[in-house]
Amino acid sequence: MRSADGLDSKDRELLQCVQDAFPLDPRPFRILGQHLGLPEREVMERLDRMYRRGVLKHIAPVLEMRETGVAASTLVAMKVAEERIEEVARAVNEYEEVSHNYRRDHPYNLWFTVAASSETHLRESLAAIRRQTGVQEVDILELPMTQRFKIDVRFRFVQENGGEKPDGRDRP
Amino acid sequence: MKSQMDEIDREILRRVQDGIPLEARPFSRVAKALSIGEAEVVGRLESLIQRGVVRRFGSRVNHRKAGIAVNAMVVWKVPPERVAEVGTGMAGHPEVTHCYERRIHPGRWEYNLYTVIHGQDRETICNLVERFSRHADIDEFLILTSTREFKRTPAGRIR
Repeated sequence: MRSADGLDSKDRELLQCVQDAFPLDPRPFRILGQHLGLPEREVMERLDRMYRRGVLKHIAPVLEMRETGVAASTLVAMKVAEERIEEVARAVNEYEEVSHNYRRDHPYNLWFTVAASSETHLRESLAAIRRQTGVQEVDILELPMTQRFKIDVRFRFVQENGGEKPDGRDRP
Repeated sequence: MKSQMDEIDREILRRVQDGIPLEARPFSRVAKALSIGEAEVVGRLESLIQRGVVRRFGSRVNHRKAGIAVNAMVVWKVPPERVAEVGTGMAGHPEVTHCYERRIHPGRWEYNLYTVIHGQDRETICNLVERFSRHADIDEFLILTSTREFKRTPAGRIR
């Protein structure tokens, strides 16, 4: 049965596998198909539909930040006047050092992450953002991470998440 | 810090970091370009995962379009001596995608533990947060729901 998002239960199962246990093999879609009881071609057709609907963005490696030359990063919270939020958010987005930027329902209403190749570069980016947006220092919180317990951006697309993974591995 | 990658690893990552093509043999182009076999390409990717250079290999989805509509950042005020215990406990839940301790600003902002939680709707998230709160015995927290996503991109890239 298809739900509001246009995915049927096979799509959800497939999406779950592609997220959690993509087989690193020269013919990955064939292996996914064997696991799900679908021909390779159908696996690819279903994925193609999900790409076109915008559900699936891409299938790619997720890199550890330290390997990508990021040496300094922080979360920033800003209090921005309601009427300026769009403009300030756009200005912040312009910086390639900014990877995530959200509006949140709190007096600190703009929350973004900044990552740079060095502490100096990070300080320069933050100073430039302050200058450009004109947001006062008292309205900005710099919240660098001091301890990481978890980062694992994966979702549950199917209710029942049991069963064997196609690559036979269990991930933490 | 010494990199754990050689030039071939880097070149493979550079070529697949924006996504592999939807073709029966999605690694064949990379393999041809680098004059190595497809088995070596996937073998190297596998090894990069095992060595912790690559966190995982898989899909990046628009979770909003797959029925997971809400993400909330929940910030908690946890006594410093309990941060490790509470942080590890919350990190164990699959709905929690991120769990960090962050710097505080005494007198201005004293929430020190951050969890990002994804869920179908606001109610699901609120129920979870209440459960976490009871379980960890932490009653000072804020649920900061995202009302707009202005930007979301992978944090790092191989250049």
